[in-house]
Amino acid sequence: MSPYPAPPVLRATGLSVSFGDGAARRAVLRDVSLDLFPGQLALLMGPSGSGKSTLLAVLSGLLAPDAGKVVVDDDGTPVDVWGLSDAGREKFRLRHTGFVFQGYNLFPALSAVQQLEIILKWGHRLGNGEARERADDMLNRLGLAAQKYKKPAQLSGGEKQRVAIGRALVKDPTFIFADEPTSALDWENGQKVIDLLRAAAHARRSSIFVVSHDERMRPYADVIYHLDDGVLTVERNPVPLLPAGPTEVSR
Amino acid sequence: MSYALQTLWHEKARYAAGVGAVAFSAVLIVLQVGLLLGLFTLTSIPVDHTSADIWVGAQDVRSVDLGQGIATNLHLARLSEKPGLVGQPEVFLANFANMIRPDGGMERVFVLGSSLDPGAAGALDVLTADHRAALTMPNGVVVDESDLKRMNLKGIGDTAKINGVEVTVVGTVRGLRSLAAPWVLCSVTTARKVLANFVHDDQTSYLLARADSPPRAAQIVKELRAEYPDMSVYTADDFSFNCRWYWLTRTKAGIAIGYAALLGLLVGAVITAQTLFSATMASAKEFATLLALGVPRARIYGLVMAQSWWVGVFGVLVSVPVVWGLAELARLGGAPVMLRWEVVVGAAVVTISTALVSGLFALRSVRRIEPMSLLR
Repeated sequence: MSPYPAPPVLRATGLSVSFGDGAARRAVLRDVSLDLFPGQLALLMGPSGSGKSTLLAVLSGLLAPDAGKVVVDDDGTPVDVWGLSDAGREKFRLRHTGFVFQGYNLFPALSAVQQLEIILKWGHRLGNGEARERADDMLNRLGLAAQKYKKPAQLSGGEKQRVAIGRALVKDPTFIFADEPTSALDWENGQKVIDLLRAAAHARRSSIFVVSHDERMRPYADVIYHLDDGVLTVERNPVPLLPAGPTEVSR
Repeated sequence: MSYALQTLWHEKARYAAGVGAVAFSAVLIVLQVGLLLGLFTLTSIPVDHTSADIWVGAQDVRSVDLGQGIATNLHLARLSEKPGLVGQPEVFLANFANMIRPDGGMERVFVLGSSLDPGAAGALDVLTADHRAALTMPNGVVVDESDLKRMNLKGIGDTAKINGVEVTVVGTVRGLRSLAAPWVLCSVTTARKVLANFVHDDQTSYLLARADSPPRAAQIVKELRAEYPDMSVYTADDFSFNCRWYWLTRTKAGIAIGYAALLGLLVGAVITAQTLFSATMASAKEFATLLALGVPRARIYGLVMAQSWWVGVFGVLVSVPVVWGLAELARLGGAPVMLRWEVVVGAAVVTISTALVSGLFALRSVRRIEPMSLLR
């Protein structure tokens, strides 16, 4: 079902990250390489402390690796995320990446629709009308039409995480990075969330990268990676496998 | 409604401390300055309650209570040369004197002897026709009700000795509150008797004149100042301001008030900064999420500054009824508070600016926010 034959939108090669100094220095990522594809939900699993969040941070432009490259497809041009200036990386994140975190991180004072609007207005400099329209539309599609004007305190945990997903999706990103997006939810709500993320991958051709230790996520993933002690292994490859043709990013 | 305003409203309890602190500073500044200005209006009462346009006195007289005897005829001649004066200049006697109270105690008083003619420039406006008639009685004096107790006088008909001359209270007035010494109003004749040792018969403390227009008065003052540096000449407004300014600076009260206001501002600034800082830290995760999504940090700075602006504005708004209420209360208690618009606007500007500076301090917390923190 997954719409594969497509070039990768992100190619990470030889990523290494260590924390600490001297004797306390500890390798968190050891020579990690992976590709992310459009329309694909990639699941990264592994025990806690295995470096999952660190890998997510490096791929998403939040944490610089000690070695290695993260090359992304920036509208047809391959760009090394860690070769950009800070401002360039901020622009890249604005244009291409959405985030969903374990906590919902919604502003207590703002309504659901405003949580989405603020990104479009402050990040993308859209006018009030257009921002409101897009935010409205996104919430409708996430089944939150009735919750639009509610503040976080009036929403359930599952609804809050859906608003957070809406905030990540509303700018129509190339990537969505989700860090333990279901860990604060019961499984019923967790399922809804992962369903939404997968639907976003398949329908919008976004590339979704989910870090989780929740085994129940497995059936929803198109590809599953496993990280243990900084070493990445592919646990399950997408079927059918990609035709490894030359692409903008891989070239 | 802006996001900043919405956040403020949503978390009223959190921001209340900051708003309260700004209001506190504003109230402190306005009331202290108002009380001081109100207090020092007492020093210029003889100028403010008479209708002269021009005051002439001895050289270097900086306040109405510092008058010295000047030769009446010489100064009359100088004045009468000037075209544009209305009517004859009047003598006005003003000097400190010692009063022996009925109980034998001593009290320093300030004697004001003026013409009692209808429409006289030097007759204080609180005097009614009845008062003026009564004051023609030899050694009759009028005092303010608020000073009766201080002078140990029961009221009309009571007597006391001023500089050894027995005087009789022939009337009381209201609104002539005193600062250094109670005002004692009387005729020029009575004043001459009481002040014989200070102002000789051919002398006066001041000459008061009226001009046909305020610009003309200013012109005459300018000319006289240039021609006769051995005397003081003021327009009434100018003299009134000089009296107050002299007392304000001489007593260093202005400096004391300045320090108190500064302290109030400092307390306000610290509390406001702390409020904004903790509010920002409480939203650190939300801000970090915005940063991760690529929203420029400047936008978040802008939000915090907008919040500090609103904290300032609300603080000032809250202070308005408080200032008004406390000023009324002070007035009822007998302490006039002078709420000049310059002071009110100045206090608003200063306190809102302080809130904005507090906002700048709170920005330090925004600078430390990193999206990476959300992944640990």
